[in-house]
Amino acid sequence: MPVDLAREIDVFEGQIELKKQGKIEDKLFAETRLRRGAYGQRYDNGQRHDGIAHRSLPFPTPTTKGPETLWDAPGMQRIKIPFGGLNPDQMDVLADVAEEYSDAICHITTRQDVQLHYVHIEDTPDVMRRLASVGITTREACGNSVRNVTACTLAGVCRCEVFDVTPYAKATAYHLLGHPDTQEMGRKFKIAFSGCKTSSCGLTNIHDLGFIARTWQENGVTRRGFEVVVGGGLGAVPYDAKLFDAAVPEEEILPLAQATCRVFARLGEKRNRGRARMKFLIEKLGFDEFRRLVLEERRILPPDRRWTDYLKDIERYHETPTQAPSKLDLANLDPEFEAWRATNVYPQRQSGYVVATVTLPLGDITSWQLRQLANVARRYVGDNVRATVEQNLILRWVSEGDLPALYAELKRLDLALGGAGKIEDVVACPGTDTCKLGIAASRGLAAVLHERLVERQKNGAIEPAVRDLHIKMSGCFNSCGQHHLADIGFYGVSRKVGGATVPHFRVLMGGEWENNGATYGLTIGAVPSKRIPEFIDHVTQRYVAERQSGERFKSYVTRIGKKALKEMVDAFSSVPPYAVDRSLYSDWRDPREFTISDITTGECAGEVVPQIQFDLQAAEQRNFEAQVYLEQGEFQKADEAAYQSMLIAARGLVRTQFWDLPDEPDPIAAEFKTRFYDTGLFQSPDAGQYAGGKFALYLLNRHADKARTFTADKARHLVEEAQLFIEAAYGCQQRMSEERARALASLDLPAATTDATAAAEATA
Amino acid sequence: MDLHKFGIKFFAVDGQRIDILKLIPLYHRWIQHNALQELLIDVADYSHVPAGPGVMLIAHEGNYALDETGHERGVVYYSKRRLSGELPERFARVAQRALTAARLMSADAELDGTLNVPGNRLQFFANDRLLAPNTDAAYAELEPAFKAFLERLYSGAPYRLARETDPRERLSVTVQADTEAPLETLLARLS
Ligand code: SF4
Repeated sequence: MPVDLAREIDVFEGQIELKKQGKIEDKLFAETRLRRGAYGQRYDNGQRHDGIAHRSLPFPTPTTKGPETLWDAPGMQRIKIPFGGLNPDQMDVLADVAEEYSDAICHITTRQDVQLHYVHIEDTPDVMRRLASVGITTREACGNSVRNVTACTLAGVCRCEVFDVTPYAKATAYHLLGHPDTQEMGRKFKIAFSGCKTSSCGLTNIHDLGFIARTWQENGVTRRGFEVVVGGGLGAVPYDAKLFDAAVPEEEILPLAQATCRVFARLGEKRNRGRARMKFLIEKLGFDEFRRLVLEERRILPPDRRWTDYLKDIERYHETPTQAPSKLDLANLDPEFEAWRATNVYPQRQSGYVVATVTLPLGDITSWQLRQLANVARRYVGDNVRATVEQNLILRWVSEGDLPALYAELKRLDLALGGAGKIEDVVACPGTDTCKLGIAASRGLAAVLHERLVERQKNGAIEPAVRDLHIKMSGCFNSCGQHHLADIGFYGVSRKVGGATVPHFRVLMGGEWENNGATYGLTIGAVPSKRIPEFIDHVTQRYVAERQSGERFKSYVTRIGKKALKEMVDAFSSVPPYAVDRSLYSDWRDPREFTISDITTGECAGEVVPQIQFDLQAAEQRNFEAQVYLEQGEFQKADEAAYQSMLIAARGLVRTQFWDLPDEPDPIAAEFKTRFYDTGLFQSPDAGQYAGGKFALYLLNRHADKARTFTADKARHLVEEAQLFIEAAYGCQQRMSEERARALASLDLPAATTDATAAAEATA
Repeated sequence: MDLHKFGIKFFAVDGQRIDILKLIPLYHRWIQHNALQELLIDVADYSHVPAGPGVMLIAHEGNYALDETGHERGVVYYSKRRLSGELPERFARVAQRALTAARLMSADAELDGTLNVPGNRLQFFANDRLLAPNTDAAYAELEPAFKAFLERLYSGAPYRLARETDPRERLSVTVQADTEAPLETLLARLS
């Protein structure tokens, strides 16, 4: 396991311990765990409506792990899988941790992540360590951070891609992971790569930052680059991404991403979470001004070799198949196999190879299946497995002649379900099953539709035009199920009927999955959850009966118009009185009488915690390590760790004014001296509280001591001094934030504006 | 070995007869009426996953399920948190919980008598590869306590053991006792 990663997890474990001892405040710990992917789950406030009444869940530990989030309440662990890329060893470990810490199910999300549910917070460091041992991190999987970087699942093997975007997606994911420029964002930030403009896999249109591969000629040489789009996003009101630049050369994508993150972090909304995504910032500033600021930021970014280092070998980037290419023997093929092949196999651009999709109902796979699938992958495709945004797994580089044997293996594992990407391959977010914001049971509905449609397909009762439709659903308007992009999409709402609450889904029609998710569906009206299956039957029958030759669903919806669509929806909107039919008053696969009272505050991201608080916490952690060294008699190590702890705290303070401070002792000490010691800012006006400038000198003197000798006494003193220095830094930070609040009150301006202006001035 | 995370599954006979979706309302009722002596949290439906954990009842200390792994249904309980007492005592406690759930399910009108758990076939699994990997050495450490537990459960009746051979799977042992005994009797032996 990389040393840095191991240390980060140790630090997180230390923070868990400190939180248990009540030494970290709730908001800070919540954002800390979110940035490690440890997310809350439904009922984690200890309240649950059991269908009869609200009851408290009397968890034994009184501690909390965030505002109103109980320590013992099981949570969700999100695991980032950049561009969905997995190898068999990683699959083994994912299977093991799901079995031992979760419920033996790995859930694939619509962002190519993996999620485990019902995980106890105290188990998360072990989960993280075991994942880290195979190169997987959970860092910044949630919280106000750059989320998993997604990419076309077919990248590198696609027949229509311009070039393989995989290495670019990978470089971007790791460049921005933990990068200082991404730590102060007011909300999450999503990035996607697409190998072409016309297919759907990349979905760049719904991302904060999207890269679409393209090439052009320059002085007779083919140049690689990307069309860059910004400010897309779903949510309650979806925004289309806007063209930022039609042709950004490949060497410019990392600095451009970094500059965009900086502008978003600096100017994005921090108080009103509902307006904090980048799409709102672009709206507020105006696109041209936003673009100007990003380009200006790009111009002043300190150069970084990592922007281009990875490009040296990029044209040679390739994946290694385990088997030689071969042709499928088309004689005597089993009809069942042929049906599966028709929907789940994609011929790669590399002759003799195909991609096989492993369809996962609702994105779920058991630990046993995943471990077995890892072995199948070892044999047939090696390291070439990916998670898809349609919640499936794909095996790339299958030698075509191996397909019948592969199919037999998948059948043994109950993983040979056909219909990948077809109407029965329903996509759903967690909804009320586990999500704190869920309104209706998206998974319950998805399971019912999936089973019903699979059965119909077996009986040959689904028309080909209908089978090509996509159904996607979300448990609420937040759109994690990407319902806007479906031919028929749903999101959970509720309606009052005669004093009772009835679960409903709002219907959207005519969304476009193709062209990188170019068109969002029209919202029509709401249908009671329990009537959705019959509603789908009706809509699809009408489509088959009324469509013009070759007419696609999106065109059909546009042609018949919203009024006709509304009539269709209205025909299914009635709810019989409770006394006549109670079944509509509960949700799919949940017999409790429906209530929305279990919804609590979401954790899609935590509170906005200024970076300085994390820095000071890190400084404390480092000084704690110094104390351990001291105890072990390792005096030089203790001395150095104590010194580093002061540098970390000083760097945190300086970066509130000067973001580009290099992470090296000399500039940190120099800038700290100029900005905080010489100005008197570090010294408390409250005489004696932090002993004037004395504490600042602990750092400055230690820094100046270039010929230091290391003794037990010196180390012991320095550890003490470092603790005082850190306390003084906390005091300084506290005063600065109070002063800012006072200034804002007198100006009557929102805090974010002033902060942003100050930061902008500091950076410039 | 200080093992806390492990489970015991009592296999059902003709398990495929059960309509697994009926467990959803059944588990919700258990939560409403505090049917089991531990903090019950929620119901997780994985009935759409073939040969998976089926429908689960999530509790604070462990999970209950009519598990379908290996296409063999059975009532399972596995502990997730620290258990008190020595190892044979812990085995007994986990088995009691699984048997209690099996007894309640068998008697529930909702399942209409379709669940039949004779209790003479079980699977034990250590759910902690860091502490108890699937090795001979780890099994040797657990074996005395496990056999003491089986002695108590089956009251000295003979049984056969079969261990899982795949080293990547959990350390697990399937036990087939020669004689059947009512669930109540098994529970009484463990109480
Ligand atoms: S769409 Fe709503 S219910 Fe679904 S996961 Fe997102 S926030 Fe939760």
